[in-house]
Amino acid sequence: MALFDEGTRTAEAIDELHALGIPADKMTVMSGVPYPERALGRQVEWLRLPYIVVAGAVAGLVFGLFLAVITPHLYRLDVGGHPTVSFAPAAVIIFVFTMLATIVSTFLGVLWEMNFPEFGPKYYHEEVTDGRLAVLVEPPDELATQARELLEKHTAHPVQLAEKKPL
Amino acid sequence: MPESAQPRPGSESERSELDGSLLLVERTDSEINQAVLQPMLRGGRNFWILVAGLGAVVAWGLYAWGYLVTWGIGTTGKNRPVYWTLFITTFVFWVGISHAGTMISAVLRLLKVDWRRPITRGAEAMTSFALMMAALYPLIHLGRVWKFYWMIPYPNGRFMWPNFQSPLMWDLVAISTYLIGSTLYLYLALIPDMAMARDHTGGWRFQLYRALALGWRGTEAEWHKLHRALGIFSVAIIPIFLSVHSIVSWDFAVTIQPRWHSTIFAPYFVVGAIYSGLAALACILVIVRRGMRLGEFLRAEHFNALGKLVMVAGMLWTYFWFAGFLVEWYGNEPVTRELIQEEIAGRLAPLFYLQMAANLIPIGLLAFRRVRSTPRLLLLAGLSVNVGMYTERLLIVVGSLQRNDIPFNWGTYRPTWVEISIVAMTFAGFALLYILFSRIVPYVPVWEIKEGRLRYSLRRIGRLLVPTAAEIE
Repeated sequence: MALFDEGTRTAEAIDELHALGIPADKMTVMSGVPYPERALGRQVEWLRLPYIVVAGAVAGLVFGLFLAVITPHLYRLDVGGHPTVSFAPAAVIIFVFTMLATIVSTFLGVLWEMNFPEFGPKYYHEEVTDGRLAVLVEPPDELATQARELLEKHTAHPVQLAEKKPL
Repeated sequence: MPESAQPRPGSESERSELDGSLLLVERTDSEINQAVLQPMLRGGRNFWILVAGLGAVVAWGLYAWGYLVTWGIGTTGKNRPVYWTLFITTFVFWVGISHAGTMISAVLRLLKVDWRRPITRGAEAMTSFALMMAALYPLIHLGRVWKFYWMIPYPNGRFMWPNFQSPLMWDLVAISTYLIGSTLYLYLALIPDMAMARDHTGGWRFQLYRALALGWRGTEAEWHKLHRALGIFSVAIIPIFLSVHSIVSWDFAVTIQPRWHSTIFAPYFVVGAIYSGLAALACILVIVRRGMRLGEFLRAEHFNALGKLVMVAGMLWTYFWFAGFLVEWYGNEPVTRELIQEEIAGRLAPLFYLQMAANLIPIGLLAFRRVRSTPRLLLLAGLSVNVGMYTERLLIVVGSLQRNDIPFNWGTYRPTWVEISIVAMTFAGFALLYILFSRIVPYVPVWEIKEGRLRYSLRRIGRLLVPTAAEIE
């Protein structure tokens, strides 16, 4: 694991690691602040989150329809001059349940995408939240020395053997 | 030195002029962490006295609620025709207060307004706690609170089923949805700061922050997913926040009670909610800034911008109020005429003039930059708005119910000690939750502040060195 002070040197080191033949999935960059997408020369991961959210919204809509339109027929409450189900009140319930499911599915979906919660020991360095960028490289054995030299060339901090910390 | 803490260009004097800008120029990331964490760890004697005082008010309110439950709803001033009293008035008030959190956080996040960064968490917390207080009132108002579960739809042998055509059910689902949504929104944006706090604390705090950080490391993938989720939340929660106070307003407007049966009630309530919520947020920020010594993060430019929003919301409220009043006045229907007469020159006149003065004078005052930028003056303006908006709700709920289409059924209302104690309980409960929150959770969203610094640089324009934002997603 190498610690960097700023993004430009980090991006250069990552580019050279790529050129060395280390694949993207063997590198992890950690930072205490969100860098813009592609700023560090990394590919943006494809997300399933939007599909999860849409599925959640549809489920909420169906559940809202069930509560507002179907159940009044199952448990009839006849009021003189009123239909059993009418559009306007049903629309309120259907809308709210759709939005509730959208919100909840977004939350659960992003936790699922991030594989959270995950409390076991993981490679990490506390200085990440103090502003450093940590680059964790898991190179094949034959490239380990070159990768280490390359990282040392770009950072003022000693390259360390990554340590798993309880998170 | 981390990138965001690199020395900025410009002379010493130029940089010192910019100390009050968005950038927190001279601070390293580590110093920002400590500047946010240290006030949380300080718990002086005054803090505990405040907690004890608020706790005592909450305990007294709980006693009053127990008294109500034991001896029945007759212990309140509720009586024909005023069935909605201080409880529903305060319920509407708290739902209104909850609106500013989403307004600040979601709307300004979508619009990429940068001054929102230090105040979003305080606003989101205000939303959640205000909704918790609001959610108590329908339960208290029921009287027989143990019957609450009858509103939950579940198959049962008595064939009882909630009536989803009823506004009571709309309230239940809308407020539950907003409370769940705003709390999840608050928590989601909190995860990176929980990790920061985990890395810098020990003991019980470490255990708490570790649990709440969920294993966050700050990998690129985690940031990317968090950003995407917050973007979706910001879009999804806006219609929810608009719908909640609309639904609360329809509790009133779908009846045929004079002065309630109005098509303008939904937007009028929403605008009023934003007005009171933003004013309450301004007050809270001023108090927290002083109490936690967060002057470096909550600066004049933030209060100035927030003050402008309060002023604009106040103008909109005035417009909607007048639009509703004019039509009612022109209609000249007997009961409405009686109610207007009561407000203008009758028993309700003191409340009416208090409402108008407390709501309108701050709009004029906030036109001045000095008032907006001076925390003490902004606090006074914000308190005035909230007194005005509470009085407005009192006039709408209690004032209107005293007169109706059946003159022999007219009546008056006087609150009892039980109602006043319960209302005081929710104000103290809100304050208690809020100050405990500010001591446990980083009040300023640290990662958002650092992100803002990362996206800004200083650019020379003529003689000035000005902060310039990068146009990046």
